[in-house]
Amino acid sequence: MDTVSKNKWPIIIGVAPALLIYLVFAIVPILISFYYSTMEWNGFTDMEFIGLANFREALGDPIFWQSLKNNLFVVAASVFGQVPVALFFALLLNRKLKGGKIFRTIGFMPVVISTVIISLVWGMMFNSRNGLFNQLLTSIGLESWAQNWLGDPKWAMISVCITIIWQFVGLYLIIFLAALQNIPEELYEAAEIDGASGLKKTLNITLPMMKETIIVAVILCISGSLRTFDLIYVMTAGGPGHSTEVLAMYMFDQTFSSTRFGYGSTLSIFIFFFSLGLVYLATLILRRKSVAD
Amino acid sequence: MVQTTMSDRATAYEKQAKKRKFTKKTLIYLFLTLFALVNAYPIFWMFLNSFKDNADFAANPFGLPVEWMFENYATAWETARLDVYFLNSIIVSVGAVVITVGVGALASYFLARFTFKMNKMMYGFFVFGLLIPIHATLVPLFILERQLGLLNTHIGLILPYIAFNLPLTIFILTSFMRAFPKDIEESAIMDGCGVFRIFWSIILPMTKPAIATVVILNFINNWNEFSFALVLINDESLKTLPLGLTNFSGQFTTDYGAQMAGLTMAIVPILIIYMFLEKHIVKGMTAGAVKG
Repeated sequence: MDTVSKNKWPIIIGVAPALLIYLVFAIVPILISFYYSTMEWNGFTDMEFIGLANFREALGDPIFWQSLKNNLFVVAASVFGQVPVALFFALLLNRKLKGGKIFRTIGFMPVVISTVIISLVWGMMFNSRNGLFNQLLTSIGLESWAQNWLGDPKWAMISVCITIIWQFVGLYLIIFLAALQNIPEELYEAAEIDGASGLKKTLNITLPMMKETIIVAVILCISGSLRTFDLIYVMTAGGPGHSTEVLAMYMFDQTFSSTRFGYGSTLSIFIFFFSLGLVYLATLILRRKSVAD
Repeated sequence: MVQTTMSDRATAYEKQAKKRKFTKKTLIYLFLTLFALVNAYPIFWMFLNSFKDNADFAANPFGLPVEWMFENYATAWETARLDVYFLNSIIVSVGAVVITVGVGALASYFLARFTFKMNKMMYGFFVFGLLIPIHATLVPLFILERQLGLLNTHIGLILPYIAFNLPLTIFILTSFMRAFPKDIEESAIMDGCGVFRIFWSIILPMTKPAIATVVILNFINNWNEFSFALVLINDESLKTLPLGLTNFSGQFTTDYGAQMAGLTMAIVPILIIYMFLEKHIVKGMTAGAVKG
């Protein structure tokens, strides 16, 4: 009603429950992880204040850097694997097609399935003995191409990334389709009068009109793929030999398997700033580029 | 003479154009079918093989089962305690959805329809939550809940689910409520309605479409959530479906049929919900995505 209510109490009572839960279970944890990150603590006995030693240790920890590198690899694989594929199929689907709806339904399906189930199913598909991929290769006579997909450090990361790409292409497909349907029909009609062909229309009208959406999709894709944890936990647990280790996985391991709560908290803080930083950076670069164009 | 050749040429051209259009369409369908196949086959593969025993699975990975082993389902159901996991998932997901949407809608009402000093700041503070990577909170949340005695309880899982779904819920509901015209509440105030009464009998009913979106979105998020459950629950009788499934498949490393039967049972409810509510789900999940 946009009027300044004289009585503040209803506002306070109305906002308080949400604010309280949000504060205690989302914001406070971030803050207290700063406190724990300065401690050497096994989670049970007394803590010992060690200042910034955990941060120094992380920066000199090769597995930390390996995890960071793998995180970036997942981000790159997602951005370059999901966005172009989704855009391609969205362009194909953006016309009057018999059965178009079915393709859309099937396309989005993986997005609603829990990551754990997807990881377990794909884990079985990558199984070295009875997995779908090796069976498929054997059945077409390419037995020598069969691999221990998740057990071989050379292939594990690639296999994991293929699964991640498969899981989320549908999300971007739907986002792009929605944007495509918002492009005014008149633009195409005008181009047709000028004699533009299908490909020309795509390049000169559709893609420029889609720029904002593509930028949003890329940023989403970056922030989403930075959160990869469930899938890696279930499929490889970071192995073999840390070849699929990502920051969240390493943090989980350090905290709950090695019971190093202080160091785990330090890694949490790195995850927090790394995520915010990368998303901020991507926003900055992409927005500036789109303004410059 | 001349006329006939011209019309001949015209029909030839038309034919060619038609042919080109036909090839183009075929090509499009070919690509789309390939896409659909890649998307659906893993699920179909799992479903088909859930009816095979190990020998059949190894010898005949792609065909129909030689003998349909329905017992795989019985084995999986009995060993995996899927009933317990299902029940826990329902309790936690529904509990969190009800509270999130309840307190979220109330907060959105005040943020959307009232002017007060902290309004903008508070809204920004909530929306900032969209950027918090949940994994950065796992360790401190574990410590916090241990101190509060919330580990291994349903409510201990429900509370973080609420906290991390509130930002999106408030974002969607606030922008929806802001769009209502200003004079809606005025007559109600004339009649002497209190602010909570206005929320309950005027604003909330008008917000129904957005509420539906938010409910579905929250439910799917909670139903599929794994990281918090992994850290906050280790009591077997309190595990949710995703968490239970991970150690269940550990028990069946050698019995592929039963493992796939268990996964099929876990996947069916969500696929059925998806079939019926596709429009809402797609809208909710992309609204969630486009938040930026």
